[in-house]
Amino acid sequence: MTQQEAHRRPILWWLPIVALNVSFWIVAPVMTLIYGCGTVLYATIVHYLLRNPRFTKRVIRRSLSYYAAILLRCGWPLVRVRFVDFDPGQKPPVVLVANHRSSSDGFMLAFVPFECVEILNIWPSRLPIVGAIGRVAEFLRVREMPFDEFLEAGSRLISVGCSVIAFPEGTRSGSRALGQFHGAAFRLAQHCSVSVVPIAIAGNEKIPPRGSALLRPGRITVTRLPPITPAEYAGMSPYQLKNLARDRIRTYMDTIEPGGGH
Amino acid sequence: MTDSELIDAVNEVFADSFEIPREKLTPEAQIFTDLGLDSLDVVDLVAAIQKRFGVQVRDDERVRAIRSMQDLYNYLILIRGEQKKA
Repeated sequence: MTQQEAHRRPILWWLPIVALNVSFWIVAPVMTLIYGCGTVLYATIVHYLLRNPRFTKRVIRRSLSYYAAILLRCGWPLVRVRFVDFDPGQKPPVVLVANHRSSSDGFMLAFVPFECVEILNIWPSRLPIVGAIGRVAEFLRVREMPFDEFLEAGSRLISVGCSVIAFPEGTRSGSRALGQFHGAAFRLAQHCSVSVVPIAIAGNEKIPPRGSALLRPGRITVTRLPPITPAEYAGMSPYQLKNLARDRIRTYMDTIEPGGGH
Repeated sequence: MTDSELIDAVNEVFADSFEIPREKLTPEAQIFTDLGLDSLDVVDLVAAIQKRFGVQVRDDERVRAIRSMQDLYNYLILIRGEQKKA
């Protein structure tokens, strides 16, 4: 490498990052605003025409999935997302549990082909527009409610066929490390006798990095692993079930990211 | 019950309640980070310990300071001493 090339390399290295962030951070807020206005308008019309609150909630929840799908495409072609499904015939409701590396994980609900809500930490529920719509959609704010209340709210959602997505590590790892799992979502699955579906999200630990809004180019792979059915987890404690799901994710991660330190 | 028997009994509670392999139950093992228990598991653990040792620890503020298996052993040894005095 010549001295001139060495001097140029940092600029070339930054170019795709600048391009990605300029395009994403211009398009994403505009899309969010359009989505917010569109959803409020559409949900209001549906609500007053059909007078069916259950259907209105369903519309709002599905709209959040479509919004997530749009946002994931805002980074294309510098951020590409691939979905691998080991169980395409999965019937809802289920409890989906995913590893958590980055704030972009929340948008992976785009790959859930049925009505779902997420279990949220405190900060996502306070986001403007999306946080407000999430509250209307009854996203579960687990840190702001006692466990019994969470179990009751989650059971009510599952009883009407709505699936629940959880990130049982509780917080973003910011790396390839897989943290310990919290058992609340697994207790909900056991309480409602529904399958637990492990989701492995790889490649997005820097999209964006923890503590930063600067997106890096990359390829994200979202894998829906085979479900752990109620028959399979019968007799297990919540502790055993959460560790079984964690092991399934870790084992899969080891195959796609060898030496990843999961 | 000697200290050693008490430690064995605590390890038995962990093995029975959570099926944690005994080789992981070392004094330096961190209950939350190494063994992977969460706050809800701790509720189950407290119930199992109360049942096994016949003690009331649910409302004891000192329980909140327990982080490692050694902390738990020390706490239960302390509780046993307090019970003997009473």
